[in-house]
Amino acid sequence: MKFDLSILAKHVPFLLEGAWLTFQTCLLAVLGSLILGTLVAAARTSASPQLNRLSAVYVDIFRNIPFIVQLFFFYFGLPEIGIYIDAFTTGVIAMSIAGGAFTSDVIRSGILAIDPGIIEAAQVSGLKKSTIFRKIVMPIALRASVRPLGSVFINLILTSSILSTITLNELTGSAKIVASQTFRPFEVYFVLLVAYAALTWFVSILIGMLHRYLNRNQAEGAV
Amino acid sequence: MISIAGLRKSFGAAIVLNGIDLEIRQGEVVSVLGSSGSGKSTLIRCINGLEKIDAGKITVDNFDVSKPRELSEARKRSGTVFQLFNLYPHMTAVQNVALAPVEVLKVPRKQAEAEARELLRSVGLSERADAYPAQLSGGQRQRVGICRALAMKPSYLLLDEVTSALDPEMTAEVLSILANLAKGGTTMVFVTHEIEFARSISTRIAFLDKGQMIADLPTKEFFSDKGMALPRVAQFLSKMRKD
Amino acid sequence: MRYDQFTPYDLVLLLQGLGVSLALFVSTTLIGLVIGTLWAVIRFYRVPVLAQMVAFLAELLKNSPVLVQLFLVFFGLPAFLKINVTPTEAAVITLSGNSAAFIYVIAVSAIESVGRDQIEAARVFGLTRWQILRRVIAPQAAAFAIGPLTGLLVNQLQVTSLISVIGVMDLTKVGNILNLRTLKPFVVWTVVGALYYLAAKLVAHAGARFEKRLRAHTAWKGL
Repeated sequence: MKFDLSILAKHVPFLLEGAWLTFQTCLLAVLGSLILGTLVAAARTSASPQLNRLSAVYVDIFRNIPFIVQLFFFYFGLPEIGIYIDAFTTGVIAMSIAGGAFTSDVIRSGILAIDPGIIEAAQVSGLKKSTIFRKIVMPIALRASVRPLGSVFINLILTSSILSTITLNELTGSAKIVASQTFRPFEVYFVLLVAYAALTWFVSILIGMLHRYLNRNQAEGAV
Repeated sequence: MISIAGLRKSFGAAIVLNGIDLEIRQGEVVSVLGSSGSGKSTLIRCINGLEKIDAGKITVDNFDVSKPRELSEARKRSGTVFQLFNLYPHMTAVQNVALAPVEVLKVPRKQAEAEARELLRSVGLSERADAYPAQLSGGQRQRVGICRALAMKPSYLLLDEVTSALDPEMTAEVLSILANLAKGGTTMVFVTHEIEFARSISTRIAFLDKGQMIADLPTKEFFSDKGMALPRVAQFLSKMRKD
Repeated sequence: MRYDQFTPYDLVLLLQGLGVSLALFVSTTLIGLVIGTLWAVIRFYRVPVLAQMVAFLAELLKNSPVLVQLFLVFFGLPAFLKINVTPTEAAVITLSGNSAAFIYVIAVSAIESVGRDQIEAARVFGLTRWQILRRVIAPQAAAFAIGPLTGLLVNQLQVTSLISVIGVMDLTKVGNILNLRTLKPFVVWTVVGALYYLAAKLVAHAGARFEKRLRAHTAWKGL
């Protein structure tokens, strides 16, 4: 069979709609992961043993169970207890929770890498705990974590394809529809694969730029 | 007044401070001398509440540092300068200095930054006020560290081996600033190895040995026959002078 | 009659699903190990064209969703090449290729972790490139790679859950069936999740033990 991409041309707008949905879910999931990940990292590095244990259990569970199982748990489970939300919201929530586990691990190691002397300096100058966390700990930890956080977010983009299994027609879901309409699954999925790879490659370049920008003043001896 | 009575502190089985009594009044410059491992730095870390004390009592202007509620008041009254500077790496020199006044004393940001610039100017850093710590030399970093402590207008300045991480040239620039502060009447507790410098600026010398304070004398007396009469002090001084 | 209660047979079904998941995980890991290592050797020998192709392919597989790769193999290949691909075959091909890509990356960095000076010293003694690879690099690289490899395997175990989407009767697929029949999503997905969790812990534990044994050979035992 001939490899013919031209038949896809008229489906591009439809696929772009799917890509737009992918973009929205990923953006919201990244924000959700960051917020959740920050809170959990704070809990895991806090002085309270209960918070420590609770947050460690959360990370352990959501890192060791396949995302699709987590997704089905929420998608089929939530209506059972009277919570009716659409596939989009379910997807964003599930991705945020799973992403939050990975994000919190990255932020936690960023926090643990901070020179304790810096925290002590903040303590003796009389800053409140919450101020130290907001103004000292998080800015330092996040700057150091840009690259590993970037990997987590790139993984979220790839993971978002799984949302197609709960009827959400994001990029992969739309491609499935196009594949069945055109009877050209090879071309469709080949283009899709390259598109995802290009997308993640582009995102990783952005992350590299962000890392350099945020750490531009941290190089020793630079003026 | 900083008042230390019966202070005991141990790390595991190692007793680092074993019954220390010391009072530091406004206007005094007290140098704490002693060989490495004598507990000098731990003493400073107990005064500013970074270490929990095992027994005894430390008060700063009558605020008990072992009581969480009073510790914050005690900390407002003392400023600490660290051996390894411990500047906030993501903030410029000005931001380092202005942070605590804005957050703790609720000084308006503009005013705090203007005061920070003025402090930095007084230590010869007006040109580097907007530089980040990584862009500064060790001596410059420590000068920022001193400004950061002074910005809170503390009644007491706690200095923990502030020149140990610096080469001789940079040590000189930091010491000259401290000499000026001492002349200006700033109360200081100065943990150091710089014996000659301690001699020139302090009003009193406290000497620690194996967690005990074996001398607490006016500077002149410490460096006279009275100090030399104590075998450990004589041994320490002769050894340090040889180095 | 609708069978909406759990039966003892469901347990057998679940264990069967777990067995399928584990079998595919183990077999595709082994295939991936062979292929990924082979790719790394190709790179080590700097085989022209082939080395670049391998690097590109690995990037493509690493940076695209496994679900899309699975669709490309399961729906795309039969349509394009006019061949028959069963769900299990598609699963084996996709998971092996995906694992190979990640193992390739780990192997390359493991090889690079061995100091240049050692390789140069070995060359001075007249060892061939193959001898250097076998006797000098491989033992050290293996010890270096085992940590990242364990992390990867825990991840790849979870990735196997995606093959349920193309109809392989793995643990997740069994979960789907029980979910639809009993309409008790919380129970079903919690049990399925717990089984995955235990399997992941088992893999992590085995990896840690293996690492300890491997490191024991290089550890200083005293005189």
